[in-house]
Amino acid sequence: MAESAEKMKTSKIIDKGIEEGAANLSSKKIEKVIHDVLQNETGARLKTYVETCIHCGLCSDACHFYLSHDKDPRYSPAGKVKQTIWKILKAKGKVDADFIKKACEIAFTECNLCRRCAMYCPFGIDVSYLISIVRRICFKLGVVPQYIADTAHSHASTLNQMWVKDDEWIDTLFWQEEEAADEIPNLRIPVEKQGADIFYSVIGPEPKFRSQLIYQAAVIMNTAGVNWTMPATPGWDNSDMCMYIGENEMMGRLKKAYFDTAMRLKVKRIVMGECGHAFRSIYDQGNRWLGWKMPPIPVIHAIEFYYELLKEGKIRVAKKYEKGVTFHDPCNIVRGRGLHEMARYVTKAFTREFIEMHPNREHNYCCCAGGGVINCGPPFKKKRVEGDRIKAEQLFAAKSRGAETIIAPCHNCHGGLEDIVHHYGLGMEIKFLGDIIYECMEKPESMGE
Amino acid sequence: MHEIYKFVSGPLVWLAFIIFVGGSLYRLISMAILAKKKDGLVYEYFSLKYAFRSIYHWLIPFCSRNSQQHPWLTLVTFAFHVSLIFTPLFLLAHIILIKESWDISWWFLPEGMADFLTIVVIAGCVFLGIRRIVRPEVRYLTNTSDFIILALVGLPFITGFWSFHQWPGSTFMGILHIFSGEVLLVMIPFTRLSHMIFFPFTRGYIGSEFGAVRNVKDW
Amino acid sequence: MKKRPVKLSAPIIFGLVLCLVMTVFAQEDIVEVADSIFSGKKIRPPVPFHHEAHNEKAKIYECNVCHHVWEGGKKLEYETSEEMECSECHYDTTAAGYPFDVIKAYHDNCKGCHLQKKAGPILCSECHVKQ
Repeated sequence: MAESAEKMKTSKIIDKGIEEGAANLSSKKIEKVIHDVLQNETGARLKTYVETCIHCGLCSDACHFYLSHDKDPRYSPAGKVKQTIWKILKAKGKVDADFIKKACEIAFTECNLCRRCAMYCPFGIDVSYLISIVRRICFKLGVVPQYIADTAHSHASTLNQMWVKDDEWIDTLFWQEEEAADEIPNLRIPVEKQGADIFYSVIGPEPKFRSQLIYQAAVIMNTAGVNWTMPATPGWDNSDMCMYIGENEMMGRLKKAYFDTAMRLKVKRIVMGECGHAFRSIYDQGNRWLGWKMPPIPVIHAIEFYYELLKEGKIRVAKKYEKGVTFHDPCNIVRGRGLHEMARYVTKAFTREFIEMHPNREHNYCCCAGGGVINCGPPFKKKRVEGDRIKAEQLFAAKSRGAETIIAPCHNCHGGLEDIVHHYGLGMEIKFLGDIIYECMEKPESMGE
Repeated sequence: MHEIYKFVSGPLVWLAFIIFVGGSLYRLISMAILAKKKDGLVYEYFSLKYAFRSIYHWLIPFCSRNSQQHPWLTLVTFAFHVSLIFTPLFLLAHIILIKESWDISWWFLPEGMADFLTIVVIAGCVFLGIRRIVRPEVRYLTNTSDFIILALVGLPFITGFWSFHQWPGSTFMGILHIFSGEVLLVMIPFTRLSHMIFFPFTRGYIGSEFGAVRNVKDW
Repeated sequence: MKKRPVKLSAPIIFGLVLCLVMTVFAQEDIVEVADSIFSGKKIRPPVPFHHEAHNEKAKIYECNVCHHVWEGGKKLEYETSEEMECSECHYDTTAAGYPFDVIKAYHDNCKGCHLQKKAGPILCSECHVKQ
């Protein structure tokens, strides 16, 4: 029975990127690429992780995929490692194209690299690192889900995630400046301001289809009187799907362009919009690829920035958000930066009723969208939403205690939670923290009146 | 009989300890060199403070959320590991042998307590073995080597217990006890029993990443 | 410090059964290894030891094979110590208040000889037989 289920699993979803990539493989090529990756790019961590794992299965309960699939062991973190990297190591790279297809699907669409399991393994084995190795192998074999591969191509051609052209970017900033000036007459989005305190950076999807977030950020910046700027050149985008497909070289190029831009503008520090994976890329992975132990310029996430502004009295609460809210802790800024308490401080300041979901903080369940999973696109949407039933249950429990709005300070989480809320009919609203602040803060015009 | 005893309690003990200590050092040092060569970041990000913070929270039962979620397993594994390490080090019979050889001795466990701790280890092996079979998520990860490892650990305790209680064949069991203990020592560095020597490092490293870089708990 | 030996005398009489055994075999034969230092500290069962039978079987005719006397690091060839308790010389009790020295002396004496002669018991359970 397990056999047939396994067959169904691989044959159900057809992804052009995976299929066509796998069609070009020969066993010789597979063996060589695997050998190269293992030989040149891995070492003590892989070896220790594989040899130290005592097969205890204690990581299982950490994984939302496992919990959402009625505890099917194939979805446990170690179960996914067993199906991929253990087999690769055991076969010494002598695996066939079908195996690579299956490994690719597991590594790209059944693991969000959320690192929750690293907190549940008694040995602290970092499964996300092991899965990243599988992704790296798949990438070097040219077997990558089509949608995320396309996004990575956008990064390679435009240095941003969404094929936004250079002039479209500038145009968008001017457009949002004009829009926001209707509300706050003196509002500016200072472009290319040398020596500003802060370089505010966003991800590609913001100018593409969430430009109101740039508008809101501009309002917050202007209200708080922050000396800020945004660049007019490529390097404005902090997102990074190359990191998630294992295209480390391109990740390095992106981060280099990004830090170079910040240095060219001579800013004191970088503030990032409400995105999680971008934070991981700049604070944790991309900088390392470039040889920076920590980012060369201080980088803070929007949550920390809002917290500072609120603490320093630069933004003030005009009214409390009326509906009950709950807070979704995104992996990359909570397990990745420990911003959960700051987020709660800001959230509670602006809302009337705060309801915790359980588990929460560093133990929160993943949105199932991050780690590039949502970026693998429509072919995997159903699988992604069904793979996070546990999230729906967790949200529903919060809703039953009065939470109508979910605050999720991360773009991927937003996308993932929207799909979950829709699919499971939860009827909850999802907002960025910036949405709430924008709505409830004191603004200059109201101060003037 | 006397020749076998002489052999297992003489040269083989030396051999076992030399392989155990030497093998462990070899594994650690070669891994450290490999890490220096290929995973330099492990050294860059390793922070003693956060490594110890993490190790502490994972050694004390019920500190980590995971250990709270599996109270029985936590109790069994804790008792199992403590008994496993503690019993042979503080067993009267072992200390007497060391006294005979090197004329040194130290505090020892009351015999009843040692007997109890031995039962804990044996029961722990049985529990963990059954868990491997009945829990689907564990069974999925289990292969033969996992049972062999459990048997390796259990055998010195079973034979020691047998011999201590002087059940039939206790002379043979006594010899087997010494021999199986030596096999266990020799296998530690070269099987997944090496989790014993790598634990502080894997735990310490992830603790450092979570603590020093990511400013968050890892338990 | 001169170390002086072990005396394997001073029988302890264990009730009627033992008495009977004793009368049947040889009067005043030693049936058990004992030493007053163990009083109240016995952990393992005492070692049954039939002095005459053992020595006959082991062909030991000199007392000081076991009841030795050491002086200046040398075993004195003609001195014997059967009138003494072993613990009069082997008396260190530092570790856990337990007489490890005399234990070592016994074990060296018995097990050492057994191993050398390839005869007689050597494992814990072979001597400290449960009663």
